[in-house]
Amino acid sequence: MHRSFKMFPAMPLLAVMILAGAYADGAWAQSGAKIRYALGDVVSVDELPLLIAVERAKKRGVAVEVTSFKSEDVATQAVINGQADIGQGTPYAAIQKVNVPVRFFYQMSALQFFPIVNTQFYKSWKDLDGQEIAVHTRGSGTEAIMRLMAKEHKINYKNVSFVPGSNVRALGLLKGTIKASILDAANKNYVMKEAPGKFAILPLGKVQASDEALFATQAFLQKNQAAVAILLEELIKVNREINKDPKSVVAARKALGLLKDLPAKLEAEILPYFEEAAKGGILPNDGGGESAAKNDLEFYKLAGALKGENLKAGDFWTFAPLKAALAKVK
Amino acid sequence: MPRSSNRLNSKTPGRRPARRLASYGPDRTLAWQLSSFVLFFGMWEAAGRWPVSAAFPPFSQTVVALAEMAADGSLAQAYASTLQPLVIGIVICGIAGVGFGIGMGLSRAVEWFTLPVVIILQAAPMAAIIPLITYMYGIGLTAKVLAVVFMAAPVVVMNSYKGIRNTSPSLVEMCRAFLGTRRQVVAKVVLPYAAALIFTGLRLGLAMGFIGVVIAELLITPTGIGDLITYHSSVAEYSKMFAAIASIVTVAALTLYGLERLEHVLFPAEIRGA
Repeated sequence: MHRSFKMFPAMPLLAVMILAGAYADGAWAQSGAKIRYALGDVVSVDELPLLIAVERAKKRGVAVEVTSFKSEDVATQAVINGQADIGQGTPYAAIQKVNVPVRFFYQMSALQFFPIVNTQFYKSWKDLDGQEIAVHTRGSGTEAIMRLMAKEHKINYKNVSFVPGSNVRALGLLKGTIKASILDAANKNYVMKEAPGKFAILPLGKVQASDEALFATQAFLQKNQAAVAILLEELIKVNREINKDPKSVVAARKALGLLKDLPAKLEAEILPYFEEAAKGGILPNDGGGESAAKNDLEFYKLAGALKGENLKAGDFWTFAPLKAALAKVK
Repeated sequence: MPRSSNRLNSKTPGRRPARRLASYGPDRTLAWQLSSFVLFFGMWEAAGRWPVSAAFPPFSQTVVALAEMAADGSLAQAYASTLQPLVIGIVICGIAGVGFGIGMGLSRAVEWFTLPVVIILQAAPMAAIIPLITYMYGIGLTAKVLAVVFMAAPVVVMNSYKGIRNTSPSLVEMCRAFLGTRRQVVAKVVLPYAAALIFTGLRLGLAMGFIGVVIAELLITPTGIGDLITYHSSVAEYSKMFAAIASIVTVAALTLYGLERLEHVLFPAEIRGA
């Protein structure tokens, strides 16, 4: 018999090794007293409210260990498998399909994206009829927004290509390889600054859905009510401070020594980013709560992440932790 | 089995090893292999039902998901997209890679010029090079073809080079003794002798190409099988995600196994150095 086929009796052994590894990893992950926070992104300017709240919570005796993962999917898996306590993102599909009682409990920020076109080719939504656009990934919020707008303006795109990362799409726009796309605030500002007059932002109706929300297993939330309340109180306080005065985030960053190695170019973007966020109302003063849950269910159903009719907020959100925190910060 | 049996018989007189080997005849070996697969898939099924993780689907659900994706055409569409950069990349390696390898084997100047680059490429971690490729060549087909070429080329080049260099000196001497010219030595002795190793290089290059194309589809832009994996992961359809992963592993394994069989048919054991 052939040499390579002699390896196949080792397959059950391989399976045993994989399963043993998975079990051991899960078992080790159970220990630890601090809140393990899974972030599905790199820590940058937009995470400053979180970092400020984490530092303030630490002073109140709640240690929050923030770990950056490659993507929201990985952060979600970490929470589902018990390797992280709190996750950040909007994994509605996972919560609906995976048989683990994970619930959202706080809206960190609402979606804020900007449909952008190269004015040499397009000037309005109607011009995008029969044209190619680039969005983040299949089933992402950026795709949902662009499809929602196409429906509103009664147009059809020729093709929707998937280019992950606002920064990558921004470079594509500047290089001319992408002519119409959708960017986050920081990259929209970057593109408009790099090529003044070359791009235009298309009008977007009010899209009220979560960009980032906190989620955890119900068991964790039940067992750690006091620690979760302290973290939520600090998050709410930071958002309220920024909405009142966006400069507060710059001062808090300096006082707490956060993101010290930020390049000067990005440092200059902190204030404009939070001024725009405060103006656009994307940082909620009240943690989103029931209205955020309702908006999210509508939006993520349209995005294709959620399936089925008569979706209930209670199957995705738990409101008790937020209510407890709001009662204390009033 | 005949090759192994002969070798064993010739080295060890007496009938015991031969009889022991014969007891593991083709039928029995096949039974062992099948039971190995059954055990593996059975353990997968049990682990999915246990479950080892809430996102780990049983084997049966993965098979159903694979059938669904095959039926709705998404799998075929994904392979059409994934195979494009893979085939282009392997063709490039087949022509340029083998050419460079032969050149390095025949000429010291080409060897000194090319060998360091090939060794660096061989040692470089692919995932770390992907951002470089995207900054230079964008996010389209070119970048994915390059990812395949960067993964496959070093193996193809090195095998071709070693094949030429390892040609039996006595055969070369014999050709010269018959007043063969350098061109005749290369065409009638060196290249035929190196053909088996060149073919092995192409087969191993294809294995690396499969790795390269999937890395590119996961790290550059999600297309083809990479898109199926990322999309189904993002919408928590884990059985479809596992089905996409299992399908590409199976396709790669079967393709490489087929090529290895072909290699055995095309090149006799003494040329392969087996």
